[in-house]
Amino acid sequence: MKIIILGFGAVGQGVARVLSMKKEYLKDRYGLKPQIVAVTDRSGAAVNVNGLDGELLLNTKSETGKISSYPEYGVAGISSLKVLEDVEYDCLVEVTPTDIENGEPARSHILKAMGDGKDVVTSNKGPLALSFQELASSAQSNGVEFKFEASVGGAMPIINFAHENLAGCSIQSVYGILNGTTNYILSRMANEGSSYEQTLTEAQEMGIAETDPYQDVEGIDAACKIVILANSVLNLPVTLKDVEVEGISRITAESIALAKKEGLLIKLIGEASPDALEVSPRLVPKGSPFAVEGTLNVATLKTDLADDVTVVGKGAGSVETASAILSDILSIWKVRK
Amino acid sequence: MRFNLVLDLPDVPGQLLEALEPMGRLGANIVAVIHQRDVKTERGTVPVQITIEGDKETLDKVMDALEVKNIQIMAVDGVLRKEQITTVLVGDIVEEDVKETVTLLNQMEGVRVADLDLKMSDEPKNSATKIVMEADFGQKKEILKNIKEVGDQKGFLVINEV
Repeated sequence: MKIIILGFGAVGQGVARVLSMKKEYLKDRYGLKPQIVAVTDRSGAAVNVNGLDGELLLNTKSETGKISSYPEYGVAGISSLKVLEDVEYDCLVEVTPTDIENGEPARSHILKAMGDGKDVVTSNKGPLALSFQELASSAQSNGVEFKFEASVGGAMPIINFAHENLAGCSIQSVYGILNGTTNYILSRMANEGSSYEQTLTEAQEMGIAETDPYQDVEGIDAACKIVILANSVLNLPVTLKDVEVEGISRITAESIALAKKEGLLIKLIGEASPDALEVSPRLVPKGSPFAVEGTLNVATLKTDLADDVTVVGKGAGSVETASAILSDILSIWKVRK
Repeated sequence: MRFNLVLDLPDVPGQLLEALEPMGRLGANIVAVIHQRDVKTERGTVPVQITIEGDKETLDKVMDALEVKNIQIMAVDGVLRKEQITTVLVGDIVEEDVKETVTLLNQMEGVRVADLDLKMSDEPKNSATKIVMEADFGQKKEILKNIKEVGDQKGFLVINEV
């Protein structure tokens, strides 16, 4: 299987690392020999139709910051679309940074690949949250596989879990803690009694919150994920603008203390059902499956036959997120081999 | 026939007696009373389990009498009659807002504000209010919607249950 990785940040590097770590395992267990034929980043690309070396890709990126410095096969300044046009491949792994204004350039990358009859795996929330129906129908009309498990909850299985393991159940609603940064901040505030500003600063110093934390703390990131779940699990054709969003920046130490007295915790919860599409701080009982700490993610699927099913897992991390991408690659491989 | 009741009594002397009074008066047999004063709800009320026996008519009368006395019946034969709903509001809450919100909630059919807790902050906008309500089972969604509306009007952040 020839793979192109567009975007070589934490997730892209995780994919290269996982494919190289699991090389023998994938061959023995599934007969899969993945070949990374091209990788792009802002600097350009590395392209080799006979396969690039995973370790060398990672070393090149960490030493020079540019994938176009890859020995012999590096190409500076080439665009990702040009790479998709020129290079022979089977599966696109789209892991460029998320853009929530227009979903670009990921949206164009994905549509281009689908139009050329290629399967696509992505972790990119932007195009899914803004143009889910367009992408899904393009995949269908072109007869290609389109997988995006890594876009929601990182390593936590949810989308494929709902489709495959809960096949036969009607899923009535989904709700969960879908953003690790806010869960970390709220957990710390509950444990330490500290203020929101203080805890956010601490989270930034630890690298858990970004320098510009807007998308996380105002609930935008969680809202993107709720849109993806609403479309993929509940078949609701909604986009980001349909979500009612309230973040955590107005949560105070006082409110957390009052909730605690009643045996409750405040968590940022995303909810999708035919009558609600929202992200907001909510009260959950201590000791419930939602009382997870740190950066963990959790989601509950309400079903007709299996009743409530809850999954918990790591919502971020390079290798953790890449594990979800690998599982998508494998399920495509099972269809294609 | 028998009814297994769960009552929610304030932790002050005489409450249990008060609850048992109509049972004796109306002729229901008390089969069991489980009352552990040291097991309290978060609000400091004491849940008491009482099993009474009698014909349907007598038991119905007892239930009516308990309601007249404003005694909270949380469950009958394991079926919840009342549920507790908690909400937390964040914002610059003044006395007037508290009064208005509580009045509005109490005006709703089958809703009673059971507890109110305020935590004022040096920064007024950081102050928080917790409201615990008891409501007839099945009303939760509507109550939460109403609170949200009131909160939005007054510019409070409303934190509801999942």
